[in-house]
Amino acid sequence: MVNRQPTLSLQQRRKRSTAVAATWFLAPALILMVIYIAYPVVETFHISLYTWNGISPDRTFIGWGNWETLLQDSRFWQAFINNIKIMVLSILIQIPIGFLLATFLDADSKKFNLFKVVWFLPLLMSSVAIGFLFQYALATNGGLISTISNLLGGKNIDLLGSPDRALYTVIGVIAWQYIPFYMVYFLAGYSGFDDQIYEAALIDGASRSTFIKVIGMPMMKPTIISACIMSLIGSLKYFDLVFVMTGGGPGYATDIMATYMYSTSFKYFKMGYGSTIAAGMFILITAIAVLVRRVLTGKEER
Amino acid sequence: MKFGKMVAILLSILMLIAAIPMAATAETLTLSEEPITLTLWDIATEDPQKSISDAAVQRFMDAYPNVTVEVTHTQNDAYKEKLIIAMSSGQCPDIYIHWGGGPMNEYINSGFAADITELFETYNTVDFLPSAIEQCKYNDKMYAIPYGGIGGCGIFYNKTIFAEIGVEVPTTIAELEAVCDKLVAAGYVPFSLANGSKWTGSMYFMYLATRFGGTEAFAKAVEGTGSFTDEAFMYAASTIQDWVGKGYFPEGVNSLSTDDGQDRQLIYQQKAAMMLHGSWQARSMEADQADWYKANIGYFAFPALEGSTYPQNIVVGTSIGNGFSFNCDGEKLKAAFILATQFFNDDIYNQAQLDANTIPSIVGMGDTIQDQCMQQIWADFSAAPQVQLWYDQYLPPEVGEKHKDLCQDIFGLTMTPLEANQALQDAMAAYNK
Repeated sequence: MVNRQPTLSLQQRRKRSTAVAATWFLAPALILMVIYIAYPVVETFHISLYTWNGISPDRTFIGWGNWETLLQDSRFWQAFINNIKIMVLSILIQIPIGFLLATFLDADSKKFNLFKVVWFLPLLMSSVAIGFLFQYALATNGGLISTISNLLGGKNIDLLGSPDRALYTVIGVIAWQYIPFYMVYFLAGYSGFDDQIYEAALIDGASRSTFIKVIGMPMMKPTIISACIMSLIGSLKYFDLVFVMTGGGPGYATDIMATYMYSTSFKYFKMGYGSTIAAGMFILITAIAVLVRRVLTGKEER
Repeated sequence: MKFGKMVAILLSILMLIAAIPMAATAETLTLSEEPITLTLWDIATEDPQKSISDAAVQRFMDAYPNVTVEVTHTQNDAYKEKLIIAMSSGQCPDIYIHWGGGPMNEYINSGFAADITELFETYNTVDFLPSAIEQCKYNDKMYAIPYGGIGGCGIFYNKTIFAEIGVEVPTTIAELEAVCDKLVAAGYVPFSLANGSKWTGSMYFMYLATRFGGTEAFAKAVEGTGSFTDEAFMYAASTIQDWVGKGYFPEGVNSLSTDDGQDRQLIYQQKAAMMLHGSWQARSMEADQADWYKANIGYFAFPALEGSTYPQNIVVGTSIGNGFSFNCDGEKLKAAFILATQFFNDDIYNQAQLDANTIPSIVGMGDTIQDQCMQQIWADFSAAPQVQLWYDQYLPPEVGEKHKDLCQDIFGLTMTPLEANQALQDAMAAYNK
C-alpha cells in the first residue's frame, strides 16, 4: 500500500494549501462568472422551453415547441445568412487591412505616431455614436457620398435605404470601426518580436518585405488565427451598429440574429421565443468557433 | 315687470339647481394620513414636458404631504424595454405611462394594471373625450387615465411653395395627386417622409385604407371576419407604390429617420412641400424655428376619396397622448388616482400643455389654441365621427411590428401589394389561431 513518507505528506500538504489558496483567489471571479455568465446562459435555455410574454408571472411550458419553430423560421435563417456574410467579409476586409496598417506603423513607430493616433480614433467612439455619424454621412439627401456624387454630376446615392446595398454599407462601417482594433492587436504581436530576429534577417540580406513574408507572417500566425476567431465571434453576435443604423431594415435586409432576437423579445412580447433565438445563436456561434479553431490550429500543431 | 323679474330669478335658480348635480357627479376621494411612497415612471426627459410633469407631481406632494412620489424620467425608446424588464423582475413601478393599445393589453393580462372602473365612475372629476376613455378600456373595464394630448395626423404643407406653383389645398385624393404632379414638375419632392422609422410610412397606408373602407375594413381584418388582402388594403398598398413610382417621395425614403428630424429637414430646406405626420410636429417645428414655421406652414386633413361610401373625415391617430396605469392597490391606488386625475389633467397642467401646443384629451380643450395648425387639427378631431387608432398600437405587438416592417417593403417596392398584405394577413391569422 502507500508508504507514509514524510516527503509525500509535505507534498500533499503543499498541494492542499495551493488548492485552498487557489479557491480563495478564484472565488470572486468565479462567483461573478456564475452569476453573470453561467446562470443567464442556463436560464436562457430554460426560458426557451416556454411561451412567455416576458412580463406575466405565469408562463406555459411547451417543451421543444419553440425550437421546432426556430428550425423552420425562414426569417431566422435569413438573419443567420446575413451574419455569415458579415463574418466572411469582416475577416476578409478587417484583418488584412489591420495587418497592413500595423506593418506600416511597425516600420518606424516614432515617425508614424500621428497615424497611429488618427487610425486608432474610430475604436474610441461608441458604436451608437458611429451609427449616428454614418447615418448622416451616408444620408441619401445631403449626405457625404451623395454630395460628392452630385459634385461629380451624378445622382443621389441611396445606401442604407436600399435592400441590395444596405447590408454591404453596414459591413463597410463595421470595418471602419474595427480595423483599428486589429491594427493594435497586430502591433502588439509585432512588439513581441525580438529585435535580434529582424537584425539577423537583415544580415542575411532580407529586405523589409521579404522579412514580413518569410518571417513576420509565419511568426504572427497564432495572432492572426486568434484575430480571425475574435472577428468571427464578434460578427456572429453583432448588434449595436446595425440596430442604430438600420434597425434590421429596410424590410429585413440587414436583419441579423441579434436584432431579430431583440425585436422578438422586446417588441413582439415573445420572450420565450426570443430566448430560443438567443440559445440558438449560442449553439451556432459555439459550433462555428470550435470548428474553425480546429481547422486553423489543428494543422499547425500536428 | 316685477313678474318678469321674478320669473327670471326663479329660472336662474332652477338652472343653478339643475347645474349642481352635473358639476358634482364626482364624489371627493379622501386619503388617510399614513405615509405613502409612490414610484412613477414616465418619458418626459425634455422640456417643456419634463417641467410640466415635475410641476404636477410637486403640486400633488404639496397638497398631500404624507405622500412621496419618486419620479423617474426615461428616454422614450429605452423606456419600453426598461418597463418590460422591471415587470418581469417584479419591480414594476406603481404608476407608469404607456401608449394604450396592444402593449397596454399585455400589461393588463399580465396583472400589472389595476382595474380602476369603480374609482373612475365614482371619483373622476375630468370631462375626458369619450374616445379617450374608450382607449383606456379593455374588455369594458377601465385600466388607465389619459393624459398628455390628442395626436392625430394630417398633412403639413408649405404655403409659400403652394402659392409659387399656384395650387390650392386639395380636398380629394385626385386633387392631391394633381398637386403632387405639379410639384414634381416644378422640381419639388411632394411628400417628405422618413420611413426608416416605419410608423411614418404606416400613416399613408392607414389613411388610404381608411378612406377606402372606413374603420370597418380594419376592424374586420383584425377580428378575422375580414382579411388584410381585402380591397381597402390592396388599394392602400398599390396607391403607395403608384406614388413611389411617380416620384412623390424622397430618395432613400427607407433610410431617413424621423427621430433625427430628417423629414423636417427636407421641409426646412424647402426641397419637399408636404409632410403627412403627427400633430406633435407642429410643436417640434415651432420649437425649431417659430417665425419661419408661422409664416410658411399650414395644415390640412388627408383628402377624401371620391366615390367611397364611408365617412371621409375619420381621423387617424390617438385620443390619448399617453395613459397612466397603476400597479398598486388600496391607499396607494387612491393616491395614484388623485395624482393622475387632479394634478395631471387639472387647469394648471392643461394650460401648460396648451402653451406647449399639446391639446389635452378633454372636452372643449382645443377651442382656445392659438397655433394655426393645431386649430385645424382640433377642428378635424372634434368633427371626426370616429378615430382610427394607429394600427401599430391597436394590433397585438407582433402583428403591429410586422405591419411596420412591411411598410418598408411597400415603399421600397421589394414586395407587391398582394405579397405584403398576404404577409400581414398571415401574421394576423397566426395570432388569432
